[in-house]
Amino acid sequence: MQAVEVAVAVIKKKPPHSALHALTFAALALPGIMAAPVFADNDNVDFQYGHYQEGKRNLFSVKNDKNPIEVESLFGKATFSLTDRVNFTTHYSQDTWSGATPISTAPLVAQSNRAYLADTASGQTITVGASPYLNTQLLVTKKFVPLQQNDVGKVLGKAPQLVHILSMASPETRKQGDFNLGYEWDEAAIDIGGGLSLENDYESRFGNVMSRWDFNQKRTTVNLGASYTNSDTSAILDHDASPYITKDYFATQIIQSGAMKILQGNRQDWSTTVSLTQIINKYSLFETSLGYTQSTGYLENPYKVMTIMFVDPEQTAKRLTGNLHAFLEQRPEQRNQFSMGGKFVQHIDFAEAAVHLEYRFFQDDWGIAAHTFGAEWVQPLTSTWVITPKIRYYSQDAADFYQPYLLSKQAYSKTQYDPTTGKFSLIPYDPSKLPNNFSSDQRLSAYGAISGGLSLSKRFSKAISLEAGIEYYQHAGSLKIGGGGEGHYSDFDSFMANAALKVNLANLDSRAFNLHPEHHPHPHQAHHHAHAPAGVMFDHLLTDAGSWMIGYRFMHDEQGGAMLQGTHTSSEQTIVKTGCGTGSEGCRLTPTFMDMTMHMVDIMYAPLPGLTLMLMPQFMDMAMNLRNLTDAPPVPVGGHVHSGTGHATGGIGDTGMYALIKAIDLTHHHLHVGLGLSAPTGDVDIQLRRAHQQDEGYIHYGMQLGSGTWDFKPSLTYTGQHEQWSWGAQFSSTQRLEEKGSTGYALGDLWQTTAWGSYQLSPSWSSSIRGVHTNQQAITGQFTALPGVVNGVLLDDVNQRSGPMDFAKNYGGRFWDLGFGVNYTVTDGDFTGNTLGVEWLQPLSTDVNGVQLDRQGALSATWGLAF
Amino acid sequence: MLNHSPFITVINIIRNTTGYFLFFSSLLLSGCASVSPWQRGILAKPEMQLSTQPVQALFYEHAYGSREAASGSNAGSGGGCGCY
Repeated sequence: MQAVEVAVAVIKKKPPHSALHALTFAALALPGIMAAPVFADNDNVDFQYGHYQEGKRNLFSVKNDKNPIEVESLFGKATFSLTDRVNFTTHYSQDTWSGATPISTAPLVAQSNRAYLADTASGQTITVGASPYLNTQLLVTKKFVPLQQNDVGKVLGKAPQLVHILSMASPETRKQGDFNLGYEWDEAAIDIGGGLSLENDYESRFGNVMSRWDFNQKRTTVNLGASYTNSDTSAILDHDASPYITKDYFATQIIQSGAMKILQGNRQDWSTTVSLTQIINKYSLFETSLGYTQSTGYLENPYKVMTIMFVDPEQTAKRLTGNLHAFLEQRPEQRNQFSMGGKFVQHIDFAEAAVHLEYRFFQDDWGIAAHTFGAEWVQPLTSTWVITPKIRYYSQDAADFYQPYLLSKQAYSKTQYDPTTGKFSLIPYDPSKLPNNFSSDQRLSAYGAISGGLSLSKRFSKAISLEAGIEYYQHAGSLKIGGGGEGHYSDFDSFMANAALKVNLANLDSRAFNLHPEHHPHPHQAHHHAHAPAGVMFDHLLTDAGSWMIGYRFMHDEQGGAMLQGTHTSSEQTIVKTGCGTGSEGCRLTPTFMDMTMHMVDIMYAPLPGLTLMLMPQFMDMAMNLRNLTDAPPVPVGGHVHSGTGHATGGIGDTGMYALIKAIDLTHHHLHVGLGLSAPTGDVDIQLRRAHQQDEGYIHYGMQLGSGTWDFKPSLTYTGQHEQWSWGAQFSSTQRLEEKGSTGYALGDLWQTTAWGSYQLSPSWSSSIRGVHTNQQAITGQFTALPGVVNGVLLDDVNQRSGPMDFAKNYGGRFWDLGFGVNYTVTDGDFTGNTLGVEWLQPLSTDVNGVQLDRQGALSATWGLAF
Repeated sequence: MLNHSPFITVINIIRNTTGYFLFFSSLLLSGCASVSPWQRGILAKPEMQLSTQPVQALFYEHAYGSREAASGSNAGSGGGCGCY
């Protein structure tokens, strides 16, 4: 390792005090930390979960019944040194969001959020929530100030108050993968990277290059970077709102796909940054940076609309009538953004702490200037705990073309009589009288935001640390520097929380630093027996007391193809008749595919020889699509049609806690018992959004993120090996400990038997073949009745009963699978003890309960490291 | 409304701000003592790193970026549309 050689050379010239030896050594890498660290010390794996939760917006005149925006995020990162000078970093992240968010703004008196009324069985009309109305009418003064009227039309006075128009989004997931490859010279480094971000309606490809130069014995570091992003939008316009939105300006960009209107656009972003980091003295350093980004193309948010108030100036009445119409927002096709920042870090001697101060100025040619101030106090409490209180303040001006709503002094459309032809014709609005650009996106308004939070980090060993943080954020027009911000109608607040697990690989096998130096200095369990195929959990114990293992499991399962009834392909008629309820409850929809992806972090610890404890948090996401069945029965009176497009969900799944107990441990044969509990941390109450003026109830059972119940998970595992051969068998079960979860149902109990054989091809490589039999019962119970509104009538239960996926009987079955796997164990070098495994499970036989989609297979991948 | 070319705007922005940037940078640089590698024990402490919790910072930056105009330019590092 070149950097280490340099360090050693320096140390030889002038030996430092021994107490400072380690710190000095690390200090040489210091400026590098900002850009592209290449030290093997930086080989690490991080996992993070984050949650963003907004508060409910105030709609003033009606109760806001909609859950606000909520985002669940998962992040994983791994950095490896490939050689002394080359390192590789890969990131994966995904966000799933749902909830209500502003799509436009209008005068409050226009009643754009109207009470969502429904008739009860007893004939009463009650308010059940709020519903958006984009095209409404109001009365204004000659100077276009909105007027408040009472129920009989009497004018009460001026009413300039505004309100956001809220719209609801069903859960959607974004996934991003990217990589960086770095090369390090003695006093410079270069790092190139690229990646892909995928959403249903947005796809982004990006590449970047960063370089670093060190000067003055690394007292000064200069970073230069450039990046390029190319993004495609293909936004499905809300089928409920679309008919009420004027889309003329984007006519050439909108395509019709079935019943859907899709708005397409492309944008490109070029970005450059330069930064300079300087060590000021033994106690402080600073960084200054400059950045420039040019964005071109479709820069709009396709879901934001501008409310335009059309007032026909030819009106002669004392008070004028304004007609509100919603237009897709129009932004300039170019944006030049410039930013400049500074960061200062000072050691505080008396507290043994560090204070971090940050300021950033932003200016673009849309007229937005913004200031960000940040301060953090990083306080180590003991040698392993660090607490960091932080505060942040942000303030921005509005974009030049930002307006809460627009006024246009013309009629939206009017009829004109042509005396020559004797016909009436419709004269539409004149687009040239509208500004070229307009947006009411809150992000472009003038406001300030203040936030404060706390983060805690705990180092468990040289290698493992946990971090957790919370932050409260308040956005308000009145918080803008210098005043003049948006009115209080736009204020909102939010909470953010995160938890991260960080593993430093370089320190894992370094027993000199370990908490238990009495153990022999090599990873051990890897030598005891070959690893089971990647899809097998609970396959081994840790051998030594005090040892740890950290791992990651990935599982992707696909269902698709034909619909099955039992073991046979089901006809459309059979699905319609038997897949759902009886009579009018016959099926109208059926799934076309369903994908499930799980990410699991696997933490194992052996407090005693022969006992291993495991904690396994999970993050999962799911996607499915539906199609209409041919020969479907008509929609029953009062019934409702499911929107029929794709659905997605994602977030934290259930959390497993296990104990593995050694029973028999002979040279060639091992047997252990696993006892586990699964806590119902995954959501089972995810709902579909209201569509077609209909509440749709809970999303299908299979799309919920957890089982909803506490589950008991016992297992019995036998493993054996002889020379190059190893084998194993496992019986495991999942027993629901509760009759039903919080939403009224419990998944079926499950029994699984598996057996495998594996051959060691080389000290590193082994391949496996495995048979699996699974038997799972159908779901018991059903979703609790969820009251809601369908076509203006309040129903006791609006849960979907439109396809096989909505019925408890169509879950579970008996399955045979054949697995093909490969395992790789690193047997020497820096990464000794790392194991990787991949297994594909191919369905052999499928016998489903009721009517279900066929199975396509499942891919499992694992990474583990014992230390 | 924009009544001049974006290019001119950019030039103006850079002209207006680069002076400050250079001024402060040179001020700070001129005050810098010569700190030898073996004197950097304090600077090497975890709390003295420019970013003490980089993974956490990514999450918070992404959250700000989905709600603020100035943080929204995550060009080159993905981040998606953030269209909510």
